[in-house]
Amino acid sequence: MTESAGPERLASPAPAIEADGLGWTYAGRSRPALAGLTFRLEPGRTLLVLGPSGSGKSTLARALAGLVPHTLPGTWQGRLRVGDMDVETTPARFLGERVGLVFQDPDCQLVMARVDDEVAFGLENRGWPRAQMEARVPEALAQVGLGGFDLRATATLSGGEKQRLAIADVLAARPSLIVLDEPTANLDPPGMFDTLEQLAVLARRREHTIVLIEHRLEAALPMADDVLLIDDEGRQLTFAPADSVGRRAVSLLRRSGAWVPSAWSGADVPSAGVESAAAAIASRPDRRPEQVLLQAVNLTLDYPSDESGTHRALDGVSLEARSGERIAVVGPNGAGKSTLLFVLCGLRRPTRGRVGLRSIAGTGGTGDGGTGEELRDPSRLRAGEIASRIGLVFQDPELGFVARTARDEVAATELAARTGRGRPLPPPDSDGVLARFGLGEPTFGLDRRGTEAVMTLLDELRATGQAQLLATHDPRLLPHCDRVVAMDRGRVVFDGSPERFLAEPPYSPAEPWRSGTGSTAGPAAAAGAAAGAEVPR
Amino acid sequence: MSLVPASLGPIRPAFLTRVTPAARLIAGLTWLVAAIVTLDPIVPVRLTLAAVAALVLWSGLPLRRIPRRMAPLGFAILSLTFFSIVLAASNADRSLAAVLEIGPVRITAPAVSAGLAIGLRVVVIGLTTLLVFGPSDPTRMADSLVQQWHVPDRFAYGTLGAMRVAPFMADDWAVIGAARHLRGIGAGSPASRIRDAADRLVVMLVAAIRGAERLALAMDARGFDSGVRRSHFRELRVTWRDWLTVGVAVGVAVAAVALPR
Repeated sequence: MTESAGPERLASPAPAIEADGLGWTYAGRSRPALAGLTFRLEPGRTLLVLGPSGSGKSTLARALAGLVPHTLPGTWQGRLRVGDMDVETTPARFLGERVGLVFQDPDCQLVMARVDDEVAFGLENRGWPRAQMEARVPEALAQVGLGGFDLRATATLSGGEKQRLAIADVLAARPSLIVLDEPTANLDPPGMFDTLEQLAVLARRREHTIVLIEHRLEAALPMADDVLLIDDEGRQLTFAPADSVGRRAVSLLRRSGAWVPSAWSGADVPSAGVESAAAAIASRPDRRPEQVLLQAVNLTLDYPSDESGTHRALDGVSLEARSGERIAVVGPNGAGKSTLLFVLCGLRRPTRGRVGLRSIAGTGGTGDGGTGEELRDPSRLRAGEIASRIGLVFQDPELGFVARTARDEVAATELAARTGRGRPLPPPDSDGVLARFGLGEPTFGLDRRGTEAVMTLLDELRATGQAQLLATHDPRLLPHCDRVVAMDRGRVVFDGSPERFLAEPPYSPAEPWRSGTGSTAGPAAAAGAAAGAEVPR
Repeated sequence: MSLVPASLGPIRPAFLTRVTPAARLIAGLTWLVAAIVTLDPIVPVRLTLAAVAALVLWSGLPLRRIPRRMAPLGFAILSLTFFSIVLAASNADRSLAAVLEIGPVRITAPAVSAGLAIGLRVVVIGLTTLLVFGPSDPTRMADSLVQQWHVPDRFAYGTLGAMRVAPFMADDWAVIGAARHLRGIGAGSPASRIRDAADRLVVMLVAAIRGAERLALAMDARGFDSGVRRSHFRELRVTWRDWLTVGVAVGVAVAAVALPR
């Protein structure tokens, strides 16, 4: 397998990455995306890059792969070496042979329709002889746990499988350096867990140098040897071994607006905002919701499907949301969360069952009274009438969203203003920032500062009596909700308090749904992964 | 792309699945030429029969799924045929006997013949396309064009990447429409509906371009078109099946045109 290339590489005296005053400014921008990065990473080590959204983390990933400066226009400063190659002067194709780059969105990086073609694509581009490709493709798939998937259509894979396939794609070419740019940001909890676990295995083998950019620190931190902190101006805050960064980094991270791993923010460091589950639960207002704003009874929705005639997207879902209540809707991809929200907004008609909506008493925007109004079927309301009863905030790439009963436009504008619309344009492709601009959705791809801004706005809106439904993959948000509705294969499998959900997630395996909550479960799970004690598979 | 086999489901191994896509393309082109150069309905009828026979016997395609997938095209063909017949110029010719007369609508035999000829030609085009592109996935078509006809990599595999991403545009379109509907935008007069559609289109295209840029970046990162001569994971070899397919297709096309009508 990789034995032939591995030892030789490890024996090489040169560092895997050496940055000296590295800076980059995209063409047409006045502010640099990166400025003055100076660090040395030894071969076989795993570097975790931390920083708030828009801090230039993706730009660093692109520079390591040579896309900056060779494919994207801009101004280069300083020096960056990958192995024995100087990035600025080495053509991208030579860098490409050594460096594998995994992107955030699995749907925008898979090129081929079939799994084996997909893995072979990068090898074909580098002119590998066919016999070697035929041997290497199954090997690379087996390395990420996708052995035997050769003939599957890439479109039929789950999010986690797609992202593992993307890792196999880069592994196939035997790169010495693998760069992953937020590889789990688009995934549901099982997909995220799956992908990070695979990465932990890879990191332990030490055959490759790994640069990981990741928001989900609970799981990423234990596999890191070194940590690079960047602030939102693209400047280096610190570069140090992961175990020595600890406390010192907490204040830096906090200031920079990035997520702080709970393993670092011990009891003596005051936990703020969305980081502390306990604090969130304690501060949750103890109100008794009165008015039912949304009522769904026994919703069932069948789609026509090629395979069996129909696919049941919703199966007997009943749900009630009262004034001032925030409900998290969770579940794996394909569980029916999006379909449910579409039906609740009247965008799809259920096959069976009914939905009723009413506007908040006294705030009905359409002048039809408001107080004591009857529950109305959203699919029978005119477009103008719906807006006063329910709104939907979409998340651009993945269809996660918030539904709420308020004037959408006002909130949307406010949301954008409050989460940094006035700031300079983001570098291309920075999803975190774009989500903030385009009123994407609650917290997808947002750093701590962005998430807190969204949650603060949602709190204010809730105080006006709004009910809020929040489709989310982020366990950190659950303690901020009054209830959790968990879905699986079109059914509601759990409806209760966030504490109960986090204690006993109704899924198997349950672990992915617990991690990242800031409770003891998170660090414990992370420690398990770091020690490599057990990797369930 | 309702014709790509991915949407039809699994393909059984069959004679045509073992023919290289380029050979199927040549064979298909001869039928299209034969269907287009003639004006009467007889030639398209013959070609339709031949195409159906090939589809059933040698294509390996899941036949039960075809009617539903082809339904939009079927509807287009029916309406095209209907309007061609009703609106034909020969209907106004009083010297011709009417086949059918309902009130002011008068239909003559030449009109029926010309209308059927047009409709059936579209049937032939549809079935032939299915025979050319159906029996292998699009990747094989791109491989075949690059290996056998030396079509540039950038064009063939670039198109392939775009095709894979295309279905996401449909999702974006639906989401954009839903978001606007919920905010009370887009209802009302026909003029405002048209304006709404134009706005939606702009938003969708912006999203599509963003997606395309990311895909291009991902392809670049994996060394696509970097100046290295590309190798091929799947080599396509021209076999006797290719020659037989092209030969039979040409024979059928010639016979369809030349046999007495």
